[in-house]
Amino acid sequence: MSRLFRLLLVMALLVTGFALPVSAQDDAPVVAVLTPYLAQPGTQFMVEAFQAAAEAKGWTVNVIDTAGDVAALNSRLQDVVTQGVDAIVINVDPQQVPALADAVAAGIPVFGMDAGSVPELVVNVTSNGYAMAAETATYVVDRLNGVGRVVMFIFPPYPPVQKRGVIAEAIFNNTPDIEIIDQVVPDVTDGGIADSRARMEAILAANPEPGSINAVWAAWDQPALGALQAIEAAGRQDEGIIIVGIDANPQAVEAIAQGGNFEASVAQDFEGIGSTTADLVERYLNGETLTQTTVYVPTTLVTRENARVE
Amino acid sequence: MNSLSAVSSGPVYTTMTTAVDPSPGTVLLAVRHASKSYNGVPALTDASLELRAGEVHALMGENGAGKSTLIKLLAGVLAPDRIEVEIQGRPATLHSPQAAYGHGLRFIHQELNIVPQLSVAENVFLGQRYPAWFGTLVRWRTLNRRARDVLAMLGVHHIDPSERMARLSPGDQMLVSIARAFAGDDSDNGSRALVYVMDEPTAALTGHEVDLLFEVINGLKARGSAVLYVSHRMEEIFRISDRITVMRDGRVVGTRHAADTHPGELIRLMTGRTLQQVYPPRQTPVGERMRLTVRNLRSHAVRADAFDLREGEIVGVAGLNGSGRTELLRALVGADRRLSGEILLDGRRVSLTPAMAWRNGVAFVPEERRSQGLVLSRSVADNITLPGLAWLSRGGMLIDRGLERRTSRSLGDTVQLKMIGPDQTVRELSGGNQQKAVFARALTRTTRVLLLLDEPTRGVDVGAKVDLYRLIRELSGQGAAILMVSSDLPELIGMTDRILIMRQGVLVDEVPTAGLTEESLLSLCYGETAHERSTDGGR
Amino acid sequence: MSVPQTVGVRPARKRRAFSVARWLRTFGTLIGFLIIVAIFWQQRPTTFMTVTNWLNITQQVSILGVVAFTMTVVMVVGDFDLSVGTMASLVGIIAGTLFQNEQPVAVAVVAGLLAGALGGLINGFLVSYVGISAFVTTLGTMTIFGGLALYISGGTTIFGRVIPEAFGNFGREGLVLGSITIPNLTLLALAVLVLTWFILEQTVFGRRLYAIGGNREASRLAGVRVRFLRLLAFVVSGLGAAAAGLMLASRLASANPKQGDGLMLNAIAAVFLGMTMSEEGEPHVLGTLVGVLILGVLANGLTQLNIDSYIQQILTGGIIILAVTLSSLSRRGQ
Repeated sequence: MSRLFRLLLVMALLVTGFALPVSAQDDAPVVAVLTPYLAQPGTQFMVEAFQAAAEAKGWTVNVIDTAGDVAALNSRLQDVVTQGVDAIVINVDPQQVPALADAVAAGIPVFGMDAGSVPELVVNVTSNGYAMAAETATYVVDRLNGVGRVVMFIFPPYPPVQKRGVIAEAIFNNTPDIEIIDQVVPDVTDGGIADSRARMEAILAANPEPGSINAVWAAWDQPALGALQAIEAAGRQDEGIIIVGIDANPQAVEAIAQGGNFEASVAQDFEGIGSTTADLVERYLNGETLTQTTVYVPTTLVTRENARVE
Repeated sequence: MNSLSAVSSGPVYTTMTTAVDPSPGTVLLAVRHASKSYNGVPALTDASLELRAGEVHALMGENGAGKSTLIKLLAGVLAPDRIEVEIQGRPATLHSPQAAYGHGLRFIHQELNIVPQLSVAENVFLGQRYPAWFGTLVRWRTLNRRARDVLAMLGVHHIDPSERMARLSPGDQMLVSIARAFAGDDSDNGSRALVYVMDEPTAALTGHEVDLLFEVINGLKARGSAVLYVSHRMEEIFRISDRITVMRDGRVVGTRHAADTHPGELIRLMTGRTLQQVYPPRQTPVGERMRLTVRNLRSHAVRADAFDLREGEIVGVAGLNGSGRTELLRALVGADRRLSGEILLDGRRVSLTPAMAWRNGVAFVPEERRSQGLVLSRSVADNITLPGLAWLSRGGMLIDRGLERRTSRSLGDTVQLKMIGPDQTVRELSGGNQQKAVFARALTRTTRVLLLLDEPTRGVDVGAKVDLYRLIRELSGQGAAILMVSSDLPELIGMTDRILIMRQGVLVDEVPTAGLTEESLLSLCYGETAHERSTDGGR
Repeated sequence: MSVPQTVGVRPARKRRAFSVARWLRTFGTLIGFLIIVAIFWQQRPTTFMTVTNWLNITQQVSILGVVAFTMTVVMVVGDFDLSVGTMASLVGIIAGTLFQNEQPVAVAVVAGLLAGALGGLINGFLVSYVGISAFVTTLGTMTIFGGLALYISGGTTIFGRVIPEAFGNFGREGLVLGSITIPNLTLLALAVLVLTWFILEQTVFGRRLYAIGGNREASRLAGVRVRFLRLLAFVVSGLGAAAAGLMLASRLASANPKQGDGLMLNAIAAVFLGMTMSEEGEPHVLGTLVGVLILGVLANGLTQLNIDSYIQQILTGGIIILAVTLSSLSRRGQ
């Protein structure tokens, strides 16, 4: 028994030991990237682009994903402050990160990567969410010639997505003959597609008349894809229901390219956000003073016409 | 040795024990100088024993006398410090259960080791290869047929092999676990056991089932096997055994021919002291005051229209297995839901739940100490004080460890509980000492109104039994009324003033104990079934 | 005490021999914890073993600690409570919503704790009196509490100026002792720890809970009011979850309808780690403390070592299984 214990102990030590060399290179800047949302494709693109740019600059990057747990993100932020990293990048609403004060107290700069603007951040790099939502909402209004019934998929808990819903709702409400049938907040623990599909199926069942639903506006692509699956499964793809999403993730772009109900999405330039953040971190570490507290990276409307190009 | 290693690695059916058909009287198994100690504490010291062909050899001794250790050495589940074993005159090693099996030893254990979720047939052949198509799909019909054959060998015909084990009565479950030990004796491959070791096989059996078992044992004798029979029940031992070996404190203190000895001598050998009387006589007369009055008691399992207990009175509850004896106590104490019933303690009407019962001075010793009596993971002190925590604490709120330990120690001494100390985990105690711990619990309250005892001395050695009997007498002498369920008829006759007779869930009769014999009591237990059969036939 | 006197037989006294297996069983996990600490210390000599870092760790685990300590009470009885995480979220939202309606901190705290007690009462009633399994019951209430949190909040995060400054500051401030500041949350968790320990180890209530956990039927027949006490145990864990929810909202100065959800699994893991340290495998609040610290120190140290957060998860899970395996192996080897 005790021999087995010793063996396991040695194995545990080895595992820990092997993992250590990652932390080498004392002279190069160490940057910690903290996010609770790494499972989402957009975040992945951003973080990967940031990592690529940072590697090119010779930095050590430590990516910390707390898998949706904001409290844990605060704890880990404290830990990297203790560790004494050179810069911190967060991808979370900074209003929920009181531990930012610890970083400020320790003199460690914190950058927002598609986060939100608060004084503790040196700068926040993001897409203009209001503009993106306006683009897809006006696309729907234009395609429907200002008349129709619309289902909205929104997600208020995450502020960047929440603001999209606000704008779209305003635009629809500002169009007299557009009626919002339902505002759905899907369960996103499985990524958002499955629950959105189920919710859309229920809405379809509740509105059986052809033409009773004219469009689905989704605040991001996963619910749009779920709605598309629901419409196709119900055999109602020929009713001309227009679906739009935001973010233009690969699955969405493919759906748009096929020319079905999914007609448009907005491509955030995640790579651009990631690399721009890295550039701004570099400029700051080189002693430059950044005046702009929010930097917007341009977005593109993806439709059937330019989807193939991707 | 070659054949031995072949046995332990190969299928269990290939045994070397079948070649010789021993003639009666030859020594089948000889054990010499068996010694074993745990952490330096000797459990077995230089014990020797011979089993001859065609004999039933009883092994007696108090709990902790070393019987279990000796049996575990034979079964190959414990490594001896020293032992010499000869099987049919040839030296043998019993280093593993497989080896023991290969040498023709079969074990029927005290605690039921059955799997309640499986069928009877599956239990009978548990641990063996089931007959199967392509080695995977079990041939249920064949399995059931073989199980039926094995049960038939035992003379048991009323158990359906496809029935789920959980639905069987405790007695029938015991018969199945006995059948399992015989399952290896499949006539197809001609293998046969030399020695059967039975550790308290009758603990859960009714008189009828015991008769059945004894028929089987006599059959085994006739076939030339030896049976090592461990039991506390003196009557059984004199009924079935040829020779009796008594152990005390890890040593063999003597072997007697059953015909040449008597219970008194055996008890003296076991306890090391002479025994004037197993059942101490009543010292004080039964009082006049009515301590318990029960009217119109009904639960889903029992019906009892009326009975009373007086101050200092000991009343027995007799009946066959499943006649509702236990359920009567459970309904009384509120462990089972009462459909109706008026219960008066000292003339005061009470509605008992288990918690209310203890608070009113009613102590309950349940039938199954392991599943109903004890919290095995906790200490002796915790277990003894559990029902009395309200008054063995500071203000009923805070634990008073000193008081708990003192109380457990003194109560433990009262029931002669052998323990390392009050902090020892109850799981580590032997079965008899566990029962004493349950019993000690019933003494925590100073004002004792009523004791409900369900099989209070089951699995307890003779010496401790005597102590418990004396204790029961003294409690009754202090004015407590005692209601005692027992399947040990001499115990009921020896201890009680009156006996309530239960049949098929109904309290049918109440008889004064004076003048009762085991036979007359047993016929009272059976009586009504015959009567009912005749009324059924008349309809 | 008029116990009948009988001839006293001296109980056989046996010295319990020292056994490596027994020793390992009780202290193996603690030793493992110390080894982990030693490794981190050796790897990060300047930052890990500092007062500030350890105060940080205690603050980081304080909320998990409160949930785990009170979860221990439920697990002592042999049940468990899956609803604590969403209950913590719900209580945060309740407090936040009251703040939005300009209620003072005291009202929010009392309302939050009441909600926790009520949730525990519902769990306890369903498990103990209706007889639904703890797993199914708390799985159901977990979903209900989570749904309520989303419904009341409309799915939004409550933050910013509506959160009273005093409430938000509580989670960030502490007791200043010279040059160090002991975080309020740490002190609060410590108080819950002491209270839980006292209840479980020093009161009749706690003793009976352990008895129920060991053998429910035997406890009932020995006069323990099993159903009522099981219900109370759930009330305790509901209260703990509520306290944790308030602490979480204070620490984050915000209330998100999902922010407490992750507490449940970690709390159960901490209790299990603690159970490896008791001889009979019973839950034990001091063991739970070690479990909580193991989880907290692992997260803190591995982050400081720049170890990928997914590898962190794998290591953490592996260590839990390792501890439990060793414990059960040494148990079997006895």
